[in-house]
Amino acid sequence: MEKQKSKFIVNSKKLGFFGDVVEKCYVLLDNKKVKWMVFAAILALAILFPLISTNYWISVMQNAMFFMLLALGLNIIVGYTGICNFGFAAHFAIGAYVTAILIRTFEWNFWLTLPISLVASIIVACIVAGPTLRLRSDYLAIVTLGFGEIVRITARNLQITGAASGLSGISRPELFGIHLTTISHWYYVFLALVVLYIIISNRIKNSRFGRALEYIREDEDAAMAMGVNTAKFKLFAFIVGAVMGGLAGSFFTVRMGAISPQSFQFIMSANILLAVVLGGMGKIPGVLIGAAFIAIFPELFRDIPFIGTARMLFFGILLVVVMIKRPQGLWPERRR
Amino acid sequence: MALMEVKDLSMRFGGIIAVDDLSFEVEEGSITALIGPNGAGKTSAFNCLTGFYRPTSGSIYYKGEPLVGLKPYQITYKKVLRTFQNVRLFKNMTVLENVKSGAHSISSQFVLGALLRTKAQRKEEKEILENALSCLEFIGISDLKDKVVKNLSYGNQRRVEWARALAAKPELLLLDEPAAGLNAEEKENLIDLIRRFREELGITVFLIEHDMSLVMKVSEKITVLNFGKKIAEGTPAEVQANPLVIDAYLGTDDDKEGSAWLK
Repeated sequence: MEKQKSKFIVNSKKLGFFGDVVEKCYVLLDNKKVKWMVFAAILALAILFPLISTNYWISVMQNAMFFMLLALGLNIIVGYTGICNFGFAAHFAIGAYVTAILIRTFEWNFWLTLPISLVASIIVACIVAGPTLRLRSDYLAIVTLGFGEIVRITARNLQITGAASGLSGISRPELFGIHLTTISHWYYVFLALVVLYIIISNRIKNSRFGRALEYIREDEDAAMAMGVNTAKFKLFAFIVGAVMGGLAGSFFTVRMGAISPQSFQFIMSANILLAVVLGGMGKIPGVLIGAAFIAIFPELFRDIPFIGTARMLFFGILLVVVMIKRPQGLWPERRR
Repeated sequence: MALMEVKDLSMRFGGIIAVDDLSFEVEEGSITALIGPNGAGKTSAFNCLTGFYRPTSGSIYYKGEPLVGLKPYQITYKKVLRTFQNVRLFKNMTVLENVKSGAHSISSQFVLGALLRTKAQRKEEKEILENALSCLEFIGISDLKDKVVKNLSYGNQRRVEWARALAAKPELLLLDEPAAGLNAEEKENLIDLIRRFREELGITVFLIEHDMSLVMKVSEKITVLNFGKKIAEGTPAEVQANPLVIDAYLGTDDDKEGSAWLK
């Protein structure tokens, strides 16, 4: 008993701040039953949340869930495969603009725009990633950064995308006969999407495809020696991530009813990347926590006097502290 | 016809000739070795065989098909598997996940299979798992399967690498200095294992090695390389008796102590 205790102290020291909590959670979650119960409890809480909350907090949570979608998409690229991407907002802009243009200019039904958004995301991902994925990761960082800006500036200057003022007056869609207008409706739509994205991420992680991506992240040469066509798998990882981002963008468009190039600035890409790195690359719960953290934290500070106006400063300091104390992320992959 | 034929293989890096007109054959079902002192060009030759380098000139045939110009993963798909001189595992993943990577080239499910979790995909996942477990069993490290690789000892990491190569159901196994960094007992196990690869699984083994005692015990045919050139070829006894080989390893003096070490 005594021995066990001392071992635990050593452990928690090594894991650092917050590490022992995570380690305890891991031990608990090792049990399949507990895992499903926790999952069910969180889901139930998420479903009941709009009934007990104010519209303001519902919209904050809905925004957090939107971030989760983007972060889960980027996680396939950055977390699983280890490819650098500083321009993820561009992929979400593609989906958003495709849907906005089809609804506004061509008066399509929203649900019919989704396949087009998907195809557009795939094409754009191929154009960006095809020639650049063989670059080393630091060069790739610059290419993706540039791509993000190109998309934003193009959208700012084209007539069809509404130039700097963007597109507005995009009609809200119907789902099962319900016209999706209230904030609660959208809360549930995004909740369903988050669950769907979690399932997708989880299935990829536990598949031959997902494992190949992780082999590439760990050691590209060794992955190739085991028969992984690294160029092909990296491209497909990029495509899957881009499609997840693009579809999230389509939903963002109809949720907001209006979009403008302002939504796709570099800071957006940086925040999504931050959510992935902060949470723990490649780990689904970690990425969710990271995204929630990014979206909710600045809001928590908003109402506190004095701090409220300087909340982004405090947010920044907090991020630095977290990254120093837990460089592997809040909820990293378990190490045995 | 030999399983693998190397003809006039040359590899130049700028002005340096790492491999110079090297020719040898690997017979099916044999245990063949390529040896040579440090810097003789063994690893360069090895990297040409596995597609990691593209040789400057010469040709390599496996079962009569040319290997030169193929990417490493394409060579793996031909059931020619390699290990690395300084263990190259997926360090942050578990032993089981590492060994599963071996099955990549003998399975086929892709993105849609993963997303829809089709019947075929689930069946394949089960096969991959069973295959990995049986390889771990063969090497004798089943108890380590849930450990993260980077926390294992060096000897065990090597064993994981062999299990991983085995999971691809290879017909030809290329081992790059498999004994490097192993202690005496682990070397004995390795010799035993290499023999079992052939006897129980019918795998042809080709190894490049520094450790003479191991090579002499385990291989039937040895090619000796020095300064990129082949200087001798034959059975262990023939190679050991060859004055050129002794010179290459020990310098030009006919040193009695040295020849004893060779044995």
